[in-house]
Amino acid sequence: MALVEVLDGAFAYNKTRIFTNINLSVEQGDIFCLLGPNGCGKTTLIDCILGMHMLDEGKILINGLDAQKFHPGELARYVAYVPQNHERTFPYKVLDIVQMGRAAYTGRFSSPSQQDQDIAAESLAMVGLINLKDRPYTQLSGGEGQLVMLARALAQQTPLIIMDEPTAHLDFKHEMLVLETILDLVKNQNLTVIMATHFPNHAFWFENNGLKTRVALMHEEHFIEVGPPMDVICEKNMRLLYNIDTRLLSFRVNELGEMHQIVPVKTL
Amino acid sequence: MKKKICALIFITAPLLVIFFSLFIGRYPVSVTKVLQVLWSGNTASTGGPPDVLNTLIWQIRMPRAILGAMVGGCLAISGAAFQGLFRNPLVSSGILGVSAGAGFGAALSILIFHSVTAATYVFAFVFGLLAVFLSFLISKVYNSSPTIMLVLGGVIVGSIFSALISFAKYAADPYEELPAIVFWLMGSLANSSYKDILVAGIPMLLGIIGLVLIRWRINVLSMGDREAHALGINLAVDKGLVIICSTLAAAGAVCVSGVIGWVGLVIPHIARMLVGNDNRVLIPTSLSLGACFMVLVDDVGRIITGSEMPLGILTSLIGAPFFIWLLKKTKAGGW
Repeated sequence: MALVEVLDGAFAYNKTRIFTNINLSVEQGDIFCLLGPNGCGKTTLIDCILGMHMLDEGKILINGLDAQKFHPGELARYVAYVPQNHERTFPYKVLDIVQMGRAAYTGRFSSPSQQDQDIAAESLAMVGLINLKDRPYTQLSGGEGQLVMLARALAQQTPLIIMDEPTAHLDFKHEMLVLETILDLVKNQNLTVIMATHFPNHAFWFENNGLKTRVALMHEEHFIEVGPPMDVICEKNMRLLYNIDTRLLSFRVNELGEMHQIVPVKTL
Repeated sequence: MKKKICALIFITAPLLVIFFSLFIGRYPVSVTKVLQVLWSGNTASTGGPPDVLNTLIWQIRMPRAILGAMVGGCLAISGAAFQGLFRNPLVSSGILGVSAGAGFGAALSILIFHSVTAATYVFAFVFGLLAVFLSFLISKVYNSSPTIMLVLGGVIVGSIFSALISFAKYAADPYEELPAIVFWLMGSLANSSYKDILVAGIPMLLGIIGLVLIRWRINVLSMGDREAHALGINLAVDKGLVIICSTLAAAGAVCVSGVIGWVGLVIPHIARMLVGNDNRVLIPTSLSLGACFMVLVDDVGRIITGSEMPLGILTSLIGAPFFIWLLKKTKAGGW
């Protein structure tokens, strides 16, 4: 059975239709990349799965259960969220931020228990930042901040993590660091990831590294194609999606074998 | 261990400050005399003979110090909670219009009854709550970004009630009612009695207890609506509880003390500098610091001025230099 399914999903803000007829199905251990131009509705779709909005039509099933009927506290035990742009206001300590991942397991009038605090520390260790635990998180770099958000999602101990452009604003190294951390978690913790991204090459990168990767191309309110990166991310589809001319490149890396990248050439 | 010592300090500090303030005032009483009076107990309650010193210590200084501590603690704690909830360190306990509403309520009651009476408390409290409720209603008119709309609602309601206060002053009799309104608005703890503590203490205590209990959730709420929701928080319920508790605390405080600025904005910041931003620690610390600060300021006021200088003036005049000194000392605590 699929972990997450969206069946004939449709959503509109007031009268402005954002998407219709969306179908997706993600299995445990998959990485599912949502690809599409700015404003195509990726974030809105993510918001619907997160329960921020209700679908106007269709269903969202998690483990076969109607996710739209979940309370926020219930949903947060199935789905965690890594935001695109976390706005840092108060200089909380890094570990305090990660502990917030335990909110769904903590009563309204209590604080995280010792066990919850241990889970938070473990999650922070998983992303390799345990040595920063007492630092004000406002002082972290963009990449470290993103890993803290990932650690907070891990502390939720959900089967599914949804990420909205997790590598936006990161430099090359930190982009790789975040991707490698995601790869490691999906491989070793049996996590499932749905991620919106502007980089088709991320999908290739996960596939090249041996993950079961699926890509959905979102365009003009619909998914125009869903499938493995090699089938879906092609010069024809990039032209359709972004109106650009691209080339698909292949090259060998010794320990990984054949790798793929798609490279933009010019706008059309 | 270090945590426990800190907790102990923050719990005992307000009690010590209250005790200390029993020795301070215009009427000279020696330390031993005060201790004697304290030891002999409150003669008014035990039906003993009336005695000037006993009345002074037990009926004037004691209730005033206790009420001052509660008012200061409430303003500070509700300011800290609102700052977290609105993710804005510049917010204070008056952000949703509670002070402006209470101010108008008090002014209105003075217009009706011609002086400050028991009705003033009731009017101030009710209009304080009403103002927050109106802010909430305004935020519901447009439903897309509730938190910012709530702040806007507070600004709108605050300005309406400020205008109404001006109107009340304009309409007031300039010899009796106008001074009463002006003095009430400047804030004072003079004439505090145990009755004030009993009546206003109920909403204040309810608010304090609620905020202390829900304090960790304020951390989560300060992540913003979308993230707090994804972390499993029921936004409507938790935000509602924080707003209700903060409003009860602030309205309870304002209705007995008048409008005292500064405490609800700056005491939480001083607490942030001292213990960090985690609301688990920040909320109790703000409570304790607010209580100490208010009682101390009131003591200073009693020492340096013969007449009753309004508290609202002193909180800023004493608080501001202290705040600047602390900014330098703690390097602003990581901001």
